[in-house]
Amino acid sequence: MMKHILMPLFSVCFLSAPLGAFGDDQDADDTDEFDVSEEILSIKGDPEYGEYLSGDCTGCHQVDGSYDGIPSITGWDEESFVWAMHSYKEKAREHPVMQMMAGRLSNDEIAALAAYFATLE
Amino acid sequence: MKLNRRTFLGTAAAASMSAPAVYAGGHGKPRVVVVGGGAGGATAARYIAKDSKGAIDVTLIEPTRTYYTCFFSNLYLGGFKDVEDIGHSYGNLAAAGVNVVHDWAVGVDRDAKTVSLAGGASVAYDKLILSPGIDFVDGAVQGWDLSSQNAMPHAYKAGSQTELLKAQLAAMPSGGTFALVAPPNPYRCPPGPYERISMVAHYLKNNNPTAKIIVADPKPKFSKMALFQEGWANHYDGMIDWIGSEFGGSNVSVNPDAMTVTIDGEETKVDVCNVIPAMKAGRIADMAGVTDGRWAPVNAADMSTKADPDVYVLGDASQQGDMPKSGFSANSQAKVCANAVRGALTGSKVFPAKFSNTCWSLISTNDGVKVGATYEATDEKIAKVDGFISKTGESADVRQATYEESEGWYSGITADMFG
Repeated sequence: MMKHILMPLFSVCFLSAPLGAFGDDQDADDTDEFDVSEEILSIKGDPEYGEYLSGDCTGCHQVDGSYDGIPSITGWDEESFVWAMHSYKEKAREHPVMQMMAGRLSNDEIAALAAYFATLE
Repeated sequence: MKLNRRTFLGTAAAASMSAPAVYAGGHGKPRVVVVGGGAGGATAARYIAKDSKGAIDVTLIEPTRTYYTCFFSNLYLGGFKDVEDIGHSYGNLAAAGVNVVHDWAVGVDRDAKTVSLAGGASVAYDKLILSPGIDFVDGAVQGWDLSSQNAMPHAYKAGSQTELLKAQLAAMPSGGTFALVAPPNPYRCPPGPYERISMVAHYLKNNNPTAKIIVADPKPKFSKMALFQEGWANHYDGMIDWIGSEFGGSNVSVNPDAMTVTIDGEETKVDVCNVIPAMKAGRIADMAGVTDGRWAPVNAADMSTKADPDVYVLGDASQQGDMPKSGFSANSQAKVCANAVRGALTGSKVFPAKFSNTCWSLISTNDGVKVGATYEATDEKIAKVDGFISKTGESADVRQATYEESEGWYSGITADMFG
């Protein structure tokens, strides 16, 4: 198991979303152009709600940050997390599972998840 | 034998007179008893213990010391996994504060709010969560019953049955015939029988390439059908003969002594016969009196049963609406249920139900496919919101990435279940 292997890569991922563990054609991504409004980024998330919502994440993503084929989402800074989720929600970033999961989350819910996951070591 | 609630209560009363031990909390804490330590039960027990931080006594009743996941057991048949890879102990749950009791739950007294165990004890609950998985419907496949399961394994509860089927597969004579009798809807893991056919074909292609697979199916179509049929043509051309209901696949009987399968009047001598019968809720749900027909109807908002607001049913055994019977679904339902149960017992905040499911299947080496959906609770049922499915004709890179993702999912969900 490669614990936290994605963390050092994150700044790169953030720009180009090259997470090879996601099963999609990365060429179709358009994340360079993708922007999230200040209004969305400024939403203060409720970590308690985020903890509940995280149940939808932890069926796949390991809370301890381990990586076995699905990237870690633990310990990201909130802004990066929000940006990544909105890039799926708006289908700027490819991945059918993540587009579906993010697609039904409200802006407040994404902020809540970001607030929760940012608290995890 | 079908026990109704009245006859069951009589049995429970008799049992409790001879063995009055009660594992009651004794601390005045609310008590949750979870029956069944699979994807639903283990997750519910872990989340309630973790999130209540000691405010709730959680007891998990599970007969086996090692739980073998049904998901990924086909990969063991195909040679991609060892049996140890799909086995999990309950040590981490115990360390996390769950009182793990290895025993069979043999009855529920909903008036006294106790669960009786085969060992003679009874366990008191304030909230009872049943996650018993599936049992098989008697007489579902003519000629087959549980006494036939060594000659003709079901291998649909993972563990010794899966190892038996693998041994039979390995012992097939050159050019032999493997038969699979598929179940009618609804059943555990809709793509499961077809991933199994793929994994058996993969094994045979490498070890016994002139062998044949025949499939008798009571359904005209099945989960991920186009994806599987494309994969079978690509990887195992000419090996698999799938006989759907339109071609007599529902008219099937077996003879475990003679090792024959008769499909629409045509008898075939086979070397291995994997019979996956029609399914129903695990028996404890029936004994608790919360089933209606084969399954236990539940309220979508919290997975409580229609029959009793203090008894919840998770996963395969529940009748909830649109979600498939899968480990992922059970894990998702467990977290909604855990939030609601904790809220009811401690006053913690209860959030609206959200559910999701994704099922990965492996067709051949690095050829993975997936289907998934999100769900919400309505007054009537768990209702589908959105979904996706892999496409036919995807590139090898996409399929390999999908398979690698499924490996990550397995690590993720088993960590979420067992800690």
